[in-house]
Amino acid sequence: MASEPQGQGSGNCFPDEHQSLRFRRVSSRVSNQNYPQFNWNSTPADEDGGGDSGPRRDLKSIPLPMSLKRAVRQVQQMQVPVVSSVESWKRKKSKSLCKLKNATREFLYFFELWSKSLQKIGGNFGGGVQSYFLFLRFLVVLNFVSFSLIAGFVLIPSIIFRSAGSSPVNNTGPEACMEYDPNPQGLVVFYNYFLDLLSGTGFMEYSYLFYGYYNNTMVEDRNFSYNIPLAYLFTAVFYFAFCLICIIARMGTAARVAVATGGSAVGNYSMIVFTGWDYGCLGDRATKLKQKNIHYRLQVDLEEERIKKQAAALTLCQKILLYSLRVFMFFLALGLIIAAFYGISEATNFSQERSDEQGILGLIFEYLPSIVITTGNFVVPLLCDQIALIERYTPSTTIIVALLRAVFLRLVSLGVLLFTLWRQITCKGDTNNKACELCQYNHEVYQCWETRVGQEMYKLTLFDLLINIAVLVLVEFPRRMVVDNWSSKLAQWVGRQEFVVPSNVLGLVYGQTVVWTGALFCPLLPLINAIKFVILFYCKKITLFYNCRPALKTFRSTTSTFFFLVVLLFGWGLATVVMIYSLAEIRPSMGCGPFRFFPTMWSIVPTSFHSLSETTKEFLFFIGSQAFSIPLFALSCVVMCYFIALASVHGKSVALLRAQLKLEGRDKQFLVKQIEELSRQL
Amino acid sequence: MGNKQTTFTDEQLEAYQDCTFFTRKEILRLHGRYRELAPHLVPLDYTNNPDIKVPLTLIITMPELKENPFRDRIVETFSEDGQGNLSFNDFVDMFSALCETSPRELKTIYAFKIYDFNRDNFICKEDMEKTLNKLTKGELTPEEVTLVCDKAIEEADLDGDNKLSFADFENMISKAPDFLSNFHIRI
Repeated sequence: MASEPQGQGSGNCFPDEHQSLRFRRVSSRVSNQNYPQFNWNSTPADEDGGGDSGPRRDLKSIPLPMSLKRAVRQVQQMQVPVVSSVESWKRKKSKSLCKLKNATREFLYFFELWSKSLQKIGGNFGGGVQSYFLFLRFLVVLNFVSFSLIAGFVLIPSIIFRSAGSSPVNNTGPEACMEYDPNPQGLVVFYNYFLDLLSGTGFMEYSYLFYGYYNNTMVEDRNFSYNIPLAYLFTAVFYFAFCLICIIARMGTAARVAVATGGSAVGNYSMIVFTGWDYGCLGDRATKLKQKNIHYRLQVDLEEERIKKQAAALTLCQKILLYSLRVFMFFLALGLIIAAFYGISEATNFSQERSDEQGILGLIFEYLPSIVITTGNFVVPLLCDQIALIERYTPSTTIIVALLRAVFLRLVSLGVLLFTLWRQITCKGDTNNKACELCQYNHEVYQCWETRVGQEMYKLTLFDLLINIAVLVLVEFPRRMVVDNWSSKLAQWVGRQEFVVPSNVLGLVYGQTVVWTGALFCPLLPLINAIKFVILFYCKKITLFYNCRPALKTFRSTTSTFFFLVVLLFGWGLATVVMIYSLAEIRPSMGCGPFRFFPTMWSIVPTSFHSLSETTKEFLFFIGSQAFSIPLFALSCVVMCYFIALASVHGKSVALLRAQLKLEGRDKQFLVKQIEELSRQL
Repeated sequence: MGNKQTTFTDEQLEAYQDCTFFTRKEILRLHGRYRELAPHLVPLDYTNNPDIKVPLTLIITMPELKENPFRDRIVETFSEDGQGNLSFNDFVDMFSALCETSPRELKTIYAFKIYDFNRDNFICKEDMEKTLNKLTKGELTPEEVTLVCDKAIEEADLDGDNKLSFADFENMISKAPDFLSNFHIRI
């Protein structure tokens, strides 16, 4: 589509005698002042070039008024009978294909989860907040779909084989290690059921929820065999691979936009002026806040310029002072974070030692690690914010530094919890320790250590949900009621709650990382997590609309989606490390679970491998051998180099075209000046 | 379900579907919205293409446009007479160009026309100052306004004539990550 607004624009600076020049440059019949010129000659050329979808797409994207578009369409339709029969058959087919695509799109809109709510949220609170809810929806769908994997390959076969009464394979081993008695003895007080529900012990421990319930049944019929332990292992591995593929696929679309537009645009005034206003903004209150927001962003940019000027004007002495202050504050922040880690490790040790307490006190002891982690995740970022005030970075750097610190704190605190658990289960990795000598794990405290780890992850997930609901009910609603009904200075200064996107997203990433870590030991955890996220969606939506005011400091929506997914990948990496270590290094419990008689969980793969047919074995050996993998590696290197070269070539051509654009502008000005001179001479 | 409606002939609906990004249902819904702006003016039966235009003052009462600082300019840009009186064709055209599936190039063309207040096919300093004042509703001081406009022109102007031609504008928009999601009216 051709648009030549310059044709008429430059005509306005000409003196009247040379209007003929302007008319000569106009090449279209449509000389309406309001619309760019449309080249009627291009339409038949487009038709000859492409198929049926070409002209249709062109019509939708042509910047002409509707009546002219319909006229063009009529012209196009009148030209159709001129083509051959093969062409017309092709056009009919692609037309019906288009109709089918439209119909399926309309049908799928029906299934899209929460689309109306998301629209309302985006209209009232902007793209940044909407991206949080889009991320939450993605996680809900991911959890449901990946749970269906687990259900199909592990849960349903287990249920079938258990009800069919197939007996587990027996083997010998030290008697003491094979003891496992999860069922409570004697009369159980009724509130114990509630406590058991919250902590995963008691009636919940020996159920499909945890690893310990699954048997190492290996069914072998005439033409059907199903190996539950192998299925369990492969399902866990494929679950991780599937989640990785989903995340990377979603990152692809976000990355494309982020790379094409060149990332951060701080201090970019023209962009704020022309693209700052969200046209989808609804409502009087939202609009006023949007205006304040744009005003704030412009002021922030002006402020950043001023700070940069100030920083450039510092004397050497002041610079040294500032940098040493920053280094000191960095170590202080690091010290705070390490103190949090120490607290978590102590709490985990204490909780594991006192694990046989009963009643409410026992419940508190069980939840102690979760409580300490949540408190740490709340207090330490607050203190780091105060530290950031002293550091005096530019506003954008401050936000990034605060986010990185929060991510580091959350993920590594989870890692500390797992490390402490590991130390207790494997007696700090020392197999000669008295407690771990017999079974290579601490069988006195942990009769079934996988179930215990699964219980810890289950408690973390549940506690996270409870805390969110408790904060909603006990902090946010009262805060709004106080601010709205009590008109004092203090209330106005505190103000209504702001929906801060980054910390909420980190909460989601943390929750998902916990689920990934626990999926191997607690197969139903993805389903529980999906339900938890659905409840969280509705809770956050309610608090957003009733208690929050839109944030003044916005979080940009396009690059932020990419950032959320990168942080999610960090969490995935942590969970993968845990899974690989548990599969390969720690001896599975002998009293429970599908792997009870194997030295490591992974060793079932070589064992089953030997029972495969010869040709399959040969094929798999070939794939694993050097003769196959080295050429494959070389080929993938070549493909990667090709794409890198392609990307750099595109980048260079973009830069060249941009320079050419500049030069053409200068050429135009030069020619205009020449013409003026000539006209003066004449 | 669509065969029962008598507002448009099938031929007309096909034409609308080909020329805009809307489906049949959405076009009928848009006609409902158009009609409720001026029920006595707009007929229910559009099969003979009546030449009815709803004036600017009624269009900008729509909730989607009411709070937009550029509502007058948007409606004027899409009207055929340039005064802001929209026929149903223009109405559908406007929401199609601003909808979610509309491509970046089309939106850039219309954005340029909206921000070009004096319609000289350039965004000069006065155009930009008017844009900025509408955006911030007079919250910035005049010096700040001048400073921001100077900086904005400095950033975007490639050919050095102190105003933005369409090529400069398009180049600047191509680097803006939020343009597509912001320049979008949900209807």
